[in-house]
Amino acid sequence: MNDPYTLHTLPNGLRIVIERMPEVNSAAAGFLARTGARDEVPELAGVSHFLEHMCFKGTAKRDWQQTSVDFDKLGSIYNAFTSADRTFYYGWVPKRSIRDQIEIVADMMRPALPEEEFATEKNVILEEIAMAKDSIDHVAFDFVLEKVFEGHPLAWPVLGYDTTVTDLTRDQMHAYFEKRYAADNMMLIVAGNVDPAEIIATAEDLCGHWKPAESKGERKTPEIRTGVANRVVDRFNQQVIAMNFPGPGAGDPLSETADVAASILGGGNSRFFWNIVQSGLSPSAGCFRFDLGDCGLTILTAQTDADVDGVEKLADALREEARDICHNKVRPEEVQRVKNKRRTGLAVEGESPYHRLVQIMDDADYRGAPRTVEQRLADVEAVSVDSVAEFFERYPIDRDGFLIGVGPREWPNCG
Amino acid sequence: MEKTAHKQLSCGIELACVELPSRHAVTFEFRFLAGTANEPDDHLGLSRLIQETIDLGTENFDGRALSDAFDEIGASHGGWVGREASGYTCLVLPEFLERAIELHAEFLRRPTFPDDKVRVAIDLTRQEWTALQDDAHSLADKLIGEQAYGKYLGRHSLGEAEHLDTMKRQHLVDHWSRTYHGGRIQVSAAGAFDQQHLVDLLGTHFDGYGAAAPAGREHFDVVFNPARMHHNKDLEQQQIGVAFPGAARTDDDYSVQRAMLGILSGGMSSRLFTEVREKLGLVYWVSAWGECPRGSGMIFLGASTTPDRCDETYRALLREVDRLSEDLTTEELDRAVSGLVAKIETQGDATRARCSQLAEDLFQFNRPMDRAEKIAKLKAVTVDDIHRYLADHPREALSVVTLGPRVLEGSETAEPCSAGEPRS
Repeated sequence: MNDPYTLHTLPNGLRIVIERMPEVNSAAAGFLARTGARDEVPELAGVSHFLEHMCFKGTAKRDWQQTSVDFDKLGSIYNAFTSADRTFYYGWVPKRSIRDQIEIVADMMRPALPEEEFATEKNVILEEIAMAKDSIDHVAFDFVLEKVFEGHPLAWPVLGYDTTVTDLTRDQMHAYFEKRYAADNMMLIVAGNVDPAEIIATAEDLCGHWKPAESKGERKTPEIRTGVANRVVDRFNQQVIAMNFPGPGAGDPLSETADVAASILGGGNSRFFWNIVQSGLSPSAGCFRFDLGDCGLTILTAQTDADVDGVEKLADALREEARDICHNKVRPEEVQRVKNKRRTGLAVEGESPYHRLVQIMDDADYRGAPRTVEQRLADVEAVSVDSVAEFFERYPIDRDGFLIGVGPREWPNCG
Repeated sequence: MEKTAHKQLSCGIELACVELPSRHAVTFEFRFLAGTANEPDDHLGLSRLIQETIDLGTENFDGRALSDAFDEIGASHGGWVGREASGYTCLVLPEFLERAIELHAEFLRRPTFPDDKVRVAIDLTRQEWTALQDDAHSLADKLIGEQAYGKYLGRHSLGEAEHLDTMKRQHLVDHWSRTYHGGRIQVSAAGAFDQQHLVDLLGTHFDGYGAAAPAGREHFDVVFNPARMHHNKDLEQQQIGVAFPGAARTDDDYSVQRAMLGILSGGMSSRLFTEVREKLGLVYWVSAWGECPRGSGMIFLGASTTPDRCDETYRALLREVDRLSEDLTTEELDRAVSGLVAKIETQGDATRARCSQLAEDLFQFNRPMDRAEKIAKLKAVTVDDIHRYLADHPREALSVVTLGPRVLEGSETAEPCSAGEPRS
């Protein structure tokens, strides 16, 4: 099969990754800024996410309303998100509009940060923080990061805190922008029915003048802590349990194996479903991975009505499943079932430029190069009973991790 | 080359499908024309309980073996329960279509509803009720739906908490017998398959599946309840829901309504996002959307904001709808329409989206709709059409729900248990 990728780097360091998908009628483009909550200092907690909002609020060329109008004229499916280590802006359009789409997003990557919009948008962010406080899942996840990564920038929420967002100034944001949105800390990713030469020429035209960084700063790999903690929130009715253990980073060779192991334990037709959900202990129990370039977590989580007996039973059941999968090899058919589902998922991923965009971003950022659907399938096929056993040997989940409880009960006991 | 077909099969199934030979998968949906509105008054929540247990035991498989059989072919399958229908969706590689249909026939036709699984499902539903209390947005959605739609269409898929105490396996069996049969099924499919092969497969596996005469095509009437109710709850944000009757999917005005919703809430240049969020900074989440039960329609406005901004946000929502009658421009309308048209084109690349569109066409129009026809109707909408639509859908009598710590101006406060809390 012909290599569908074109990789190119502009003289200023901006990386360009293009996947040709000649069978589709649309195309998607996105700019990745390799920056997120972990790149902030404590007093600026939330600046990455706030900056993401401000990139929609006007440039030297457009005011914010014109940016929105131009996106909508294209009929673009567009948005942006900020995570612990990345900020990504994207749009998905009919193929005829891809150059216009790249032009709008590229323009946003050099925001004007107007003072009056900064003040109004601050209110929007504070509303977003308030909304997150009403979600038990959001509160629980933020508490996991706070405890597991205590002492490291990954410990604070991507949205920041009321206080840090309230106190943030436009000049502080601008200084952060100058440092983090340098050409050589960014990547343009395009997937769809496109001509790579045209895309590169467009990028040279629109982004060739962006400056590279003088200094990007180093990221420190966090220490992953163990312990026990609870957060009592009276207004919630259920109790969330989260058991957190060190896991492989996104670029680790065991990453695919970790995904398969998580599915066997806590996916659809999984051990948690049959042994925990179907025994009535919890309506939802799962195993998730939180993975960044240099570290990761395996998180076992479930929630239940907040009576103490029920919570204890649920925690015991999670521990029992964790012990069993660490001490006894999984069955070959369990591995095969997950592989089969991945094969189907990959078949449809290949028809959606937007979904390819996100996958290319992960691969190019964390692994250094994109993988075709076929290459990803081969990596999944390489997972075996033995590699799952190796995974649990290297990243055990049957011993000290960080046990977290969030809900109306003071559980677990931290004494 | 795309090839669309619409057929009535002898087993009662109404089929709409589109062959997309270049795709690498097939997606299909079995839609049963019975939803929460069809449930017996004293056992609300049956549709969801049936869906939770229907594949946990059949004549030839136990639940785990059936799940394993689906996983052997890598099928991604799931279900949903709606106001007037319940659906089962599946995505599978083309070589496994036959097996996937066979497995669907196994659990749809031959479920045993094991008693222990039914009891667990009832217990889990109680916990889902508690979980709903911790999801303010979904709880507000439930409350405005109940209030705006009235007795039948306003039912929530979780039913009523107190009905769980008397729910038994036999209730599930009886309701399944009444509502799961060939004459109530619409099947839609998109992807890489041969139409005749699909017709043959459905015939092989579903011939003799209960009554084949068409059923479930009746409409449920909306019993619109104009009221302004507040539900007290300790929350950081106040949830606001507003509803008023709109156009049905089959009305000529549906395209006008769709364009109007695009202007109000279609993208970041839409009026609600621009005015309520970006200019006033009142909210993070604000939206307008339409729902169309068969034969009717409902327009919803929603937002969440901190309690002291609730009244201002409510007024801002309504002002933006009213302002459409005053200063809507052709450019704004054209932008909303071209956005909707482009999204139809873009999402045409996704096999699942094509199947969903077919299923919805079949449900609403009893036939597949040509995409060009939909686009032409959208493009024909004028500013005058929007003005006329707004005049024809007055908003003096609204259905309004707030959930949170602060009572909206002019609202009555509901009894505590009506916020959806289990009573038992």
